Amino acid sequence: MAVLVDITKCIGCESCSVACKLYNELDFKSKPRNGADELDDNRWTVIQQHTTRKERIRFVKKQCLHCKEPACASACFSKAIQKDEKTGAVVYYPDLCVGCRYCLVACPYAIPKYQWDKQFPQVAKCQMCESRLEHGDAPACVSACPTGALTSGSRDELLAKAHQIIASDSRYVNHIYGEHEVGGAEWLYISDVPFEELGFKQVSDTPVTQYTKNYLSKVPGMAAAWALFLAGLTYYNHRCDKNKKSDDDKK
Amino acid sequence: MSNNLSRRKFLKVVAGSGLVGFGAMVTGCKGDSPDGRGWIPDQYQGKGDFPVNLKGRVAIAASNPSIERDDEKCILCGQCIEACQNVMAVYGNYPLPLKMEVACVNCGQCAMWCPSGAITEKRSIREVAAALDDESKFVVVQTAPATKVSLGEEFGMEPGSIVNEKQVGALKALGFDAVFDTCFSADLTIMEEASEFVHRLTSAKDEIPHLTSCCPGWVKYCEYFYPELMHNLSTCKSPQSMLGAVIKSYYAQKNNLKPENIVSVSIMPCTAKKFEAARGEMEVDGQRDTDLVLTTRELAVLLKHRGIDLNTVPDAQYDSILGESTGAGRIFGATGGVTEAAVRTAYFMVTGSNPPAALLNWQPVRGLTAVKEAAADIPGAGTVNIAVCHGLKNARELLDGIKKQGSSKWQFIEFMACPGGCIGGGGQPKSTVAAQPEARLKRIAAIYREDVNAPKRCSHENSEIQAVYKEFFGSPLSKKAEKYLHTTYTNRHDRLFD
Repeated sequence: MAVLVDITKCIGCESCSVACKLYNELDFKSKPRNGADELDDNRWTVIQQHTTRKERIRFVKKQCLHCKEPACASACFSKAIQKDEKTGAVVYYPDLCVGCRYCLVACPYAIPKYQWDKQFPQVAKCQMCESRLEHGDAPACVSACPTGALTSGSRDELLAKAHQIIASDSRYVNHIYGEHEVGGAEWLYISDVPFEELGFKQVSDTPVTQYTKNYLSKVPGMAAAWALFLAGLTYYNHRCDKNKKSDDDKK
Repeated sequence: MSNNLSRRKFLKVVAGSGLVGFGAMVTGCKGDSPDGRGWIPDQYQGKGDFPVNLKGRVAIAASNPSIERDDEKCILCGQCIEACQNVMAVYGNYPLPLKMEVACVNCGQCAMWCPSGAITEKRSIREVAAALDDESKFVVVQTAPATKVSLGEEFGMEPGSIVNEKQVGALKALGFDAVFDTCFSADLTIMEEASEFVHRLTSAKDEIPHLTSCCPGWVKYCEYFYPELMHNLSTCKSPQSMLGAVIKSYYAQKNNLKPENIVSVSIMPCTAKKFEAARGEMEVDGQRDTDLVLTTRELAVLLKHRGIDLNTVPDAQYDSILGESTGAGRIFGATGGVTEAAVRTAYFMVTGSNPPAALLNWQPVRGLTAVKEAAADIPGAGTVNIAVCHGLKNARELLDGIKKQGSSKWQFIEFMACPGGCIGGGGQPKSTVAAQPEARLKRIAAIYREDVNAPKRCSHENSEIQAVYKEFFGSPLSKKAEKYLHTTYTNRHDRLFD
């Protein structure tokens, strides 16, 4: 399941962020940790207002993009973040989390946040309403959007739709943010203003996981070889000791 | 049993629990994800593209001077969009992508419709309380005609209860130094507006149709969507701003008060009045016309905070020299009231005698019909065709019709943004079911009772109005009157449209 965000249709009503808070029982009263329009552990999605160079106002919805190859899940050694194969959602499971916060560091968009003031803190991020997706419902934010700025569907369908919108309307910039960014994401954005002006991070198309894959994939083999080497060394030492002992005995 | 945990035992426990955890992980025991424990309205079930009539909510900018919203109370019921789109024709009538702002005419109808109280006016109660407690300030207050037939509802009275003197008594009990009547400045507005209309009718025909300008929601709507009609708008300020300007000039002069020591408060049935009070145009010689605006609801809150019960507070009378009002000023609060009042005085201005009884009980402009049409025969000026319109969706249909035809068959058109006029304003009590026409009709009936019971029925008969012209302004549309009582408008069309 993917979501297409048409930035030209957003009027900044924040129905989406309220739906998110209602559905996920997030605290409405919590003080913003990083500013009122920044994500934190009680703000899984926010609307950010930007003024473009041409003095236009645009609203941008921010939340987890649910990467196809999530760096956070890759960084997590306890498998507390997993990419759900069926829905595409990158889901956090607190029961498995050890609280190392590697995911916070790994995410190229700095999305995961931490419950800094809790006794037993958890990581907090958009779950794409996985429990709704399982029943075939759209994420809460998408359902609540009154202007049609958010639509959900299969990623291929939405990509085709986005390409068609861009081709048929010259106001749009020819870029679907999320199509290739760090290997692609389930959340796709189209806009009539270049994404750099709207606070979108310029990232490479290579998945973050790719950088480490080249050498980390060799780790199991190297570990086995190292173990073999050490075993051989031990065997050799033992043999030396044994031979020495039997020589002494003979004497 | 030994108190000491052996090293071996400790390592066993740690390794064991680690193994159990690892086992749980690899076998896929991941527990529940933390999402989806909450509630979401039923219309949001399903794939998201099922058709529903109401969803989401209107956008309210943080800088909106009139209304604000508490997200925690919002239940995403979509009623605000219903009001904004289908009653006021604002939402959905500006192009996307947005240009410079999200259109809002500050009418506050969304606050009226909001069932959970999430949308409210931007409150000024604390500022007013602070001004009242400040001994160095001379705090004056004015009350709009529509508040007199609705404030009682906040204190358990029936809709349509007239609380004229009680409201004055309550405001005096609050500690206001002087209580004035916006109906007085409604009479003043009529003097200016009727003169302006007669002038347009006889010599400035390009400014016909004459469009009324007392409703700030409508004025902003015109500036947004019909800028080509801005020169048809009456240049008269609204009664609120006229009274404010008179208080800080004529009244201050007569009572040896420094205008900068006066805090001018108004009690309004309207959230758009907060926007109007903050407009750059509403200022004379560096003095703001109105400093603080309270809605009817806010006044009720303030009174209750200070322990004043409207049911038991002693009656009091408005203060002179800005407290007398005629029936014409009192009917401003109902749709059609401005028209009826203006025609009464225009008739006098053209003919030199008071209008016949039929024009003092002019039924065609009264009631809740969306667009009311009437014709007034004024000897000397001929027949004046008039339209009265309330609810901005009706206004849009009417104006689009005029645009299509290229000309207007009416010479005078009254617009009120809210359904029923000010009595149905966005700042009115929600203690009575807001969208009920019955409650609106009862408030309107009370307004016309006030008119019939008034000793004088026409604005030009108001002796305090005659005094203010004699002593200060000279005559309607004089240079001084233009300076204090008239205004200009701002084209807001290009903030929404390319």
